[in-house]
Amino acid sequence: MNKIHKINKKPPPIAILNSKNLLSIEGMNKLEINSLLDRADYFADLDPLKIIKTLNGYVILNVFFENSTRTRVSFELAGRRLGAEVINISVDKSSIKKGESLLDTANTLSAMKPNLLIVRHPESGAPKLFSDYLNCSIVNAGDGRHEHPTQALLDALTIRRRLGRIEGLKIAICGDILNSRVARSNIHLLTTLGVEVRCIAPPTLMPKSLENLGVNCFNSLKDGINNVNAIMLLRLQNERMSGTESPSKREYYRFYGLDEEKLRMAHHDAVIMHPGPMNRGVEIASSLADNEDRSLIKTQVEIGVAIRMATIEAVYNAQK
Amino acid sequence: MHKNNKPILLKNIRVIDASQNLDQEMNITVKNGIISYFENSKKNIPFNEKDFRSVNCKDKILSSGIFDLRVYLNETNNENVSILKNAAVKSGVLKMGILPFQKPLLDNPVMIEHLIEKTNFNNDKFFYPYGGATKELKGNEIAELGLMAEVGAIGFTDAPNCIQDSLVMRRVMSYAKMLEKPILQNPEDRSLAGLTASNSTTIQGEMNEGEVSTRLGLVGIPSCAEVMIVERDLRLAELTGVHYHVSNVSTKETVEVIKRAKLNGIKITCDTSPPYFSLNELELSTYDTSFKLSPPLRNEEDRIAIQNAIFDDTIDVITSDHKPMSNDTKILPFTSASTGASGIETLLPLTLNLLNKSDVSIMNILKKITLNPSKLLKVEISKIKSNEKANFIIFDPNEQYLINKDLLQTSPTPFHGRPVQGKNYMSMMNGEIVFDNLDLL
Repeated sequence: MNKIHKINKKPPPIAILNSKNLLSIEGMNKLEINSLLDRADYFADLDPLKIIKTLNGYVILNVFFENSTRTRVSFELAGRRLGAEVINISVDKSSIKKGESLLDTANTLSAMKPNLLIVRHPESGAPKLFSDYLNCSIVNAGDGRHEHPTQALLDALTIRRRLGRIEGLKIAICGDILNSRVARSNIHLLTTLGVEVRCIAPPTLMPKSLENLGVNCFNSLKDGINNVNAIMLLRLQNERMSGTESPSKREYYRFYGLDEEKLRMAHHDAVIMHPGPMNRGVEIASSLADNEDRSLIKTQVEIGVAIRMATIEAVYNAQK
Repeated sequence: MHKNNKPILLKNIRVIDASQNLDQEMNITVKNGIISYFENSKKNIPFNEKDFRSVNCKDKILSSGIFDLRVYLNETNNENVSILKNAAVKSGVLKMGILPFQKPLLDNPVMIEHLIEKTNFNNDKFFYPYGGATKELKGNEIAELGLMAEVGAIGFTDAPNCIQDSLVMRRVMSYAKMLEKPILQNPEDRSLAGLTASNSTTIQGEMNEGEVSTRLGLVGIPSCAEVMIVERDLRLAELTGVHYHVSNVSTKETVEVIKRAKLNGIKITCDTSPPYFSLNELELSTYDTSFKLSPPLRNEEDRIAIQNAIFDDTIDVITSDHKPMSNDTKILPFTSASTGASGIETLLPLTLNLLNKSDVSIMNILKKITLNPSKLLKVEISKIKSNEKANFIIFDPNEQYLINKDLLQTSPTPFHGRPVQGKNYMSMMNGEIVFDNLDLL
């Protein structure tokens, strides 16, 4: 069993957010990020039965315009553990299909006076639109190709707990960076915390001018993961693997799929992460995914709840 | 419409008429819709001022009305003909080319004829419709170009669509050449301007490709998607001899290619609109959909190149590219929001703003919204001289103010809150006063 590194001995205070919304990691400072990580670190080790339910009567609407199981459940559990009431609304285009505009849907929900809307939407910038027109707080649970802030936070905490620090590490993000909101949030978060970030993707999945975000870009996985401490793999959607952005699954796996042999290029105790759901034999060798010495994939999910607790609590505090 | 029936005396007004190369301070009278007295302001006025509605127009400019080369008449989007006319005359626009993209489409002679009849205004033509270059503007089959030309189509275009197929483009060009009409293209290689989604369908690009699109997670349109089509079209223009016009030049590379083509004697003209010399892609940083335009706002280097191309006459015309959209279609996530913005009401001040950027003469700038579009479309505009019917606008080139979207009749504007200079105070069309704020001068 690997040791868990704890940075704080005593319970840290509620995290500080400069805004009542959490829309993106871009624009957040080190202090905000670290306070969220510290608080979540504390929650992660707490017996859920012993958590003081400070958010009694606080109403959270989980508004998901896109299918999701893990993120929705994770937010729901986080809210409930803090004592909040969480209502799941799978908009799944039901009212949108009836011709109602997005903003009308939002206004209808807002009229029910929730305290917080957790929004997932297939279009970049949709949570920002909600925040422009609604009074309640908005937390972005993933918007299009833009950002997925809580995923990046939970990734960072997972790494910190395992490797004992974040600053000064070398971390590789590998896969469909062009279409990935997880990659964008991670790039902003890791560069803010002083990580050397390397982005690895085939040229067709590498967004333009990515290096301007303060990262190094590689087309070769082997070059990119040389001596890195952690490798974050991204999901490649099935429809991108048949001749559009990538010639085939097997070619992708040959060059970008992580297996034991390629992993040897990385630091000897490098860890592997994946936001899920993963394609075994495409992004990652199945054996590697199940290797608990290396793979933190399960831990990520676990830490996710703690990060979302810290986030909900911080948003609640910022509203006061 | 008449304030009173007295003839008007405009004193010390600076008359600029590029068609006569005239830029002079003058005294002018307008009697029964005709310019009757037209003399240098140094000359004594040989009649009694009291018989006139006399206005001192020192430092104000009298010029031909604006000819707006490309305007969308979008009746489905809360804007009908009368709103457009009112907004236009108030803003100094007295003639405009109407693009075929509307419901129903102007891709057949019946619709062209109908539009001309419906919009005949003050016994003068106000709207000059283009015909669709291809049926339903789909880029597949040639529309009835000959029949449309016969009933008054002034040129052909599929705007805002770009004709993708080279053979269709060649055929359209050779027909337009025979009919001696220009062909206007909104250049954008569609296959390059998007992204492959599931089942090989493409997601249309949403903004300029670059660092900003990468940060925002929006689908980028590379700037070469524009110049590639222009380069192809230039070959076809050479082959067919047609008058080829590039609409909405937005990139540095396109400017360079057009400049070279002009030096090589190819019959090419082009235009741009205020967003492309006033704004850049950074405006989109907050997902503000009023900046969602086609072509997309480019980077600062492109913006400067467009501005310089106006000054060195590579760009012939500045047009509003007026494409009104209801606010309902703009209060949406960026991807779902409509593309386009109003422009007719802000064309004059934003164009005059260019005077602060260079020592270019005001006549040269005015040419791009008056004389050049009329020459391009071979539409006569009346000269400003004695015994001519009054067809002009009077504006204050120095008045400074902020553009306020709530004071505009058309929406949306990407220029809300921006400082500009220049305001129209009078519009006369075919001898009639169609807008009159002279008393506020």
